[in-house]
Amino acid sequence: MKEPILGAFEAPQSRKHMLGSLQSIHLPMRRFKDEEQVDYAIVGVGAAGGVLLQRLARAGFNVVGLEAGPFWDTERDWVSDEAGSRELYWTEPRVTGGSDPLALGSNNCGKGVGGGSVHWAAFTPRLHPSDFEVYTRDGVGADWPITYDEIKPYYEQLELEMPVAGPAYYPWGHPHGYAYGPHPMGGVGDALIKGCTALNIPVSIGGPVAILSGSHGDRPHCIYRGFCIQGCKVGAKASTLVTHVPDALRSGAEIRDFCMVSRIELGSENRVRGVHYFNRQGEARFQRARAVIVSGYSIETPRLLLNSACKGYEKGLANSSGVVGHYLMAQAGNVVLGRFEELVRMYKAPPAHALTEEFYETDPKNDFARGFAIQTVGPLPQAFGKQMFAAKKAWGWGLRREMMDYNHWASFGLLGEILPWADNRVTISEDKDKFGLPVAHVTFNLHDNDKKLIRAAKEKTMEVMRAAGATEVVQEPRYAHLVGACRMGSDPRTSVVDKFCRSHDIANLFVCDGSVFPTQGSANPGLTIQALAARTADYIISQGEQIFSGRKRDMTDPPIRRQLAPPETWGKGVPRLT
Amino acid sequence: MKPIFPAVEDALLPRDPVTQEPIPPRQQPGYYPGFNTLSQRRYWDEATRRVVEERVNHPPERKFFSQAAWDFWTVVFEHLIPQTDRTPDRRIPLVPALDERLAANYTVGYRYEDMPHDRVVYEWGIQAIDAEAQYRYGGGFLTLSSLHRDEVLKVIQQERPKAAAEIWKKMSVTRFWQLIMADAIDTYYAHPWAWDEIGFGGPAYPRAYTRLERGEPEPWEVEPQRYDWIPPLSSVSGEVDASGESPQSHHGSGGSH
Repeated sequence: MKEPILGAFEAPQSRKHMLGSLQSIHLPMRRFKDEEQVDYAIVGVGAAGGVLLQRLARAGFNVVGLEAGPFWDTERDWVSDEAGSRELYWTEPRVTGGSDPLALGSNNCGKGVGGGSVHWAAFTPRLHPSDFEVYTRDGVGADWPITYDEIKPYYEQLELEMPVAGPAYYPWGHPHGYAYGPHPMGGVGDALIKGCTALNIPVSIGGPVAILSGSHGDRPHCIYRGFCIQGCKVGAKASTLVTHVPDALRSGAEIRDFCMVSRIELGSENRVRGVHYFNRQGEARFQRARAVIVSGYSIETPRLLLNSACKGYEKGLANSSGVVGHYLMAQAGNVVLGRFEELVRMYKAPPAHALTEEFYETDPKNDFARGFAIQTVGPLPQAFGKQMFAAKKAWGWGLRREMMDYNHWASFGLLGEILPWADNRVTISEDKDKFGLPVAHVTFNLHDNDKKLIRAAKEKTMEVMRAAGATEVVQEPRYAHLVGACRMGSDPRTSVVDKFCRSHDIANLFVCDGSVFPTQGSANPGLTIQALAARTADYIISQGEQIFSGRKRDMTDPPIRRQLAPPETWGKGVPRLT
Repeated sequence: MKPIFPAVEDALLPRDPVTQEPIPPRQQPGYYPGFNTLSQRRYWDEATRRVVEERVNHPPERKFFSQAAWDFWTVVFEHLIPQTDRTPDRRIPLVPALDERLAANYTVGYRYEDMPHDRVVYEWGIQAIDAEAQYRYGGGFLTLSSLHRDEVLKVIQQERPKAAAEIWKKMSVTRFWQLIMADAIDTYYAHPWAWDEIGFGGPAYPRAYTRLERGEPEPWEVEPQRYDWIPPLSSVSGEVDASGESPQSHHGSGGSH
């Protein structure tokens, strides 16, 4: 085999902290002292926390992000290797159960700066207008306290900030287009196009996906190496680590990594006064803050609130409604695998590169409400092995044989809307973590509508795979993503936060992450989480000091503050669609 | 590294479906002869190269299991992912990575409510498998013939164990099988020799993949050369079954979307 012309590849020797292959950040960053009162303590620097940190710092607030995992140096810490990427996931102990238990860990939970946005596949469809009024339209689930029109400017904004690559015309939901060009197809995308076309199903080619199709600032374009969900070492896939954290630090934010928040402390006048946490050395510390934002996602956020129960909030902090932990959702995420006579080599190209939302909306012809999407996925060998095990009960020689055909298989993921149910919930377990904190116990049960929807989605996805030319089609039941468990709403008796992600109970406490979703649609939640975070930041900035001391809850919508976006992501020279 | 496995008898070798003759062990089974991901390691980034080379050259030493437990699971894993088609110098050690995982008490990030902690699973698992071996063949698992060991494991795979009822009351047989298979798969298919076997291109940063469509090979990849084979006579793990869907098989720890 040939040798590299310039010798073996060596990592940059600049001693800089690398965020992707080109971008670096100069450290040390600003450090606040524990006894110093910061304006905002943000718990969790993930998809939402990263955006909030950036916006609030740029607006001039003193803000610290406490992150349980590491602040990644992508050149040093990340690898093109499945087994070597397990540190990206939340693997602290949890208990999972119910009639249809959810897999957690690598399936849906991130750890470290960037959180889940580090290992998402980066599909970024918007929710549809119908998603915001599911109860009104279908009599199931819940309505959101906001409409599509209220979040739309933030979708457009975040699609530029990530930015999102996709087709110039996207027909589903509120039709729109993408400013950055679609990606070339890999073997799985070709199969999806072929199958959909044969069945006269429209298909979106090359996106929408938050992966660069051309270089952008100090981030290079995608190299199609297929390790998206192992962390994009290239820096082409958007994560808040590479899109918002650099600007947050330049704007004076602090990220305190390896800091596990254990409890939010309630002070006088029904206001929180800061967070207790364990630092890198495992020492118990307390950070004073004038307000706290919890961005720990759908399991750690309710766990923290429940573990913060105190006098006046015996059921859990900000839980006078009793809703904290309830209405947890995951999407049906069955993987449908098809074997083709010809080679596919599905490890090339991003797993996420084509989809159809043709079956997204409620169809009166169905015996269930709501719908599903069909998307490309691209399992690497470890994941594929476990899929062959689950789908074909393969073990021993049977498994070895199936695996030798790896390059003949393509895989689609269905993404089906599971409705919010009160009995799907996060409670506190008797198990403890290494800090002695009770861990989360997750209970998940499918209901009738969910089961019917999954059956139909599975059949349709398998039909598409067969239409693509697969000679054998099998499937693995699973779930994808998490949302809910601290839902937003207008009624404090049935929801945890208001439409600006502010606790109904406590004026200077916010919950901003996927846990606030009242319903979830069949869209991957990442874009909506970041859009909500930007909107919450605009509200917080508009309210100014009122958050820290005001008596009145102002429900006026804030103006969108595009000028607070990271520089070079909005404005002159950046393509846009209007 | 000295060979871990003894030499192989014919009944344990995959066969030619036409002649029924055993196929001699190969350095590299699979349909991609000459394909070698490790030969490309100088094109990989430094961190990836370090992690993969460490995996190949320095399997972890025993830290958690007793010698007896280590030997027991080594034999079990020889059935979960058999490697008698590989020459002894090219077999992929599976138990060291498991032992290291348990030593560090590292898990996938959750346990099912009907399962004990992973360390306990691997303790009870020995008792349950041995009890099933006793019940069926009147001897400990390690004393059985290879075929009988395969049969014992198949009973557990099919969720029909007859012995050790008190253990299976406290530990789901479905989840137990999932866990040990996941450990076997995660280790075997993390090894570059397994990548070569299945034609997976491996790490591609910073070089990139450039031929995305129609399964075309990169310049350093090869076209497949298929050959037919059937499982060894002394084995019962060759069958697959995609017919049923266990309602409990929400495995999905792979995280593909």
